[in-house]
Amino acid sequence: MTARLVIKVASVAVFLLAWHFATTTGAISPLFLPSPGQIIAQAQDLIVTGDLWRSVLISSERVFAGFVLAGLVAVPLGVVMAVWWPAKAIVDPFISLLRPLPSITWIPLTILWLGIGEQQKVAIVFLGSWIYILYYTLAAVQRVDPMLVRAARNLGARDGAVMWQVILPAALPGIIAGMKITLAISWSCVLSAELVAAQSGLGALIWQGKDWGNLPLVLVGMVAISITVLIADMVAERIERLLIPWERHRRA
Amino acid sequence: MPPILRAEHVSRSFSIGRGPDVVAVHDFSLDVEAGEFVCLLGASGCGKTTMLNMFAGFIQPTEGRVLLRGEPITQIEPRCGVVFQSYALFPWKTVQGNVEFGLRMQRIPSAERVQRAARFIELVRLQGFERHYPTELSGGMQQRVTLARILAADPEVLLMDEPFAALDAMTRQEMQEELLRIQEASRKTIVFITHSIDEALILADRIVVMSARPGRVKAILENTLPRPRHVSIQLSHGYAALKAEVWGLVESEVHRHTGR
Repeated sequence: MTARLVIKVASVAVFLLAWHFATTTGAISPLFLPSPGQIIAQAQDLIVTGDLWRSVLISSERVFAGFVLAGLVAVPLGVVMAVWWPAKAIVDPFISLLRPLPSITWIPLTILWLGIGEQQKVAIVFLGSWIYILYYTLAAVQRVDPMLVRAARNLGARDGAVMWQVILPAALPGIIAGMKITLAISWSCVLSAELVAAQSGLGALIWQGKDWGNLPLVLVGMVAISITVLIADMVAERIERLLIPWERHRRA
Repeated sequence: MPPILRAEHVSRSFSIGRGPDVVAVHDFSLDVEAGEFVCLLGASGCGKTTMLNMFAGFIQPTEGRVLLRGEPITQIEPRCGVVFQSYALFPWKTVQGNVEFGLRMQRIPSAERVQRAARFIELVRLQGFERHYPTELSGGMQQRVTLARILAADPEVLLMDEPFAALDAMTRQEMQEELLRIQEASRKTIVFITHSIDEALILADRIVVMSARPGRVKAILENTLPRPRHVSIQLSHGYAALKAEVWGLVESEVHRHTGR
């Protein structure tokens, strides 16, 4: 375990050193790739002014709003589609048509409908996320062991109890796993929306760097995205453990 | 007074793809008296699980009727509690939560629920494991939880579908003793499915030998071995004679299907 950690740290250190020397000796022009030192200096500036934190916060807010909205629509819809076939028949054709569309293709329409403010960013996250959550929910509910439903009915459970006390808890691990994967997709949605039309957020920060010819700013933005999404994943992992305690030892 | 559980000329067939219907059970009749322990004994594919599923109301007969206290069973019947071979425990509920499930469905107030669950957890000797999740337990312990869960719900009949088949030989013997002890104490009516002659001889009052394809009653034997019983009954003289008799019936079935 420690050997693994040493190798990981060494790997990153060697990479950073090679980068440092390649850019400071002039082997690579800073016009194409700034040095790690430049990036750190730029990051310090942004931290001092509060711009970095503001950008992280505003992008996170957009992701959170769009993602939660997508979950509120897609989880109930997925459950209903899984247990009542006419609902699936009604929704299926639309899903088939909408699914191949990347969220970025919604940008023109959403700008027309909602302008370039917060609502439009949230809409892009929503449109790029809800179908995935729907699919994972549908699959999770369909995979529930029919034996468990039989057992519950044999113990006197009626329809309501079967739904709330058997089908939903049995499907919960699958639904949460799907939402964790979708969260990363939601992040890529917000960034694409911010690259195209936004005054704020991490995507806009990167685009400003590009417009001003400030390459270190672009790279600070990229690193900030990586770290923010990593932290979001860790939070999601924590929430997962809290919600499904019966699977904790399986992971261990 | 009618028998507690009755099958009247029951047949059940299944349609499989485009082929002809497969008859799983044919003209099966049986009366089970209150407090009786009946084993359905037969090779796999003899329709014994199909029969049990009809007693539980999971599926309906294509012909004939299945009756509980003289009334036809037409839907899933909580008065016929099932112990599944695959346990079918709720993995998100602790042992306590699983055992309380049936009581919760019966809207029994929480104080009484906790008390009754504790009693049955103790009966299957799982004190100290109340807060464990099923996947943290061994197969034998999981099957005890299933037993406690169904006993706590207090059905009139217990239907057991090869409940010990997945267990190792030592655990199986332990569970058989446990079941004998529990049945002695509760006098529950039990219909128990098995493909093991020994299991049938140790547990049953009556043994229904089934023939395969289609499943039908080949013979019904009174198990004359004395009660209360213990698994050591296998060492007695009467046991060997009875086993020879059952084996004779089963053997002819085996030969019929292997073509010897």
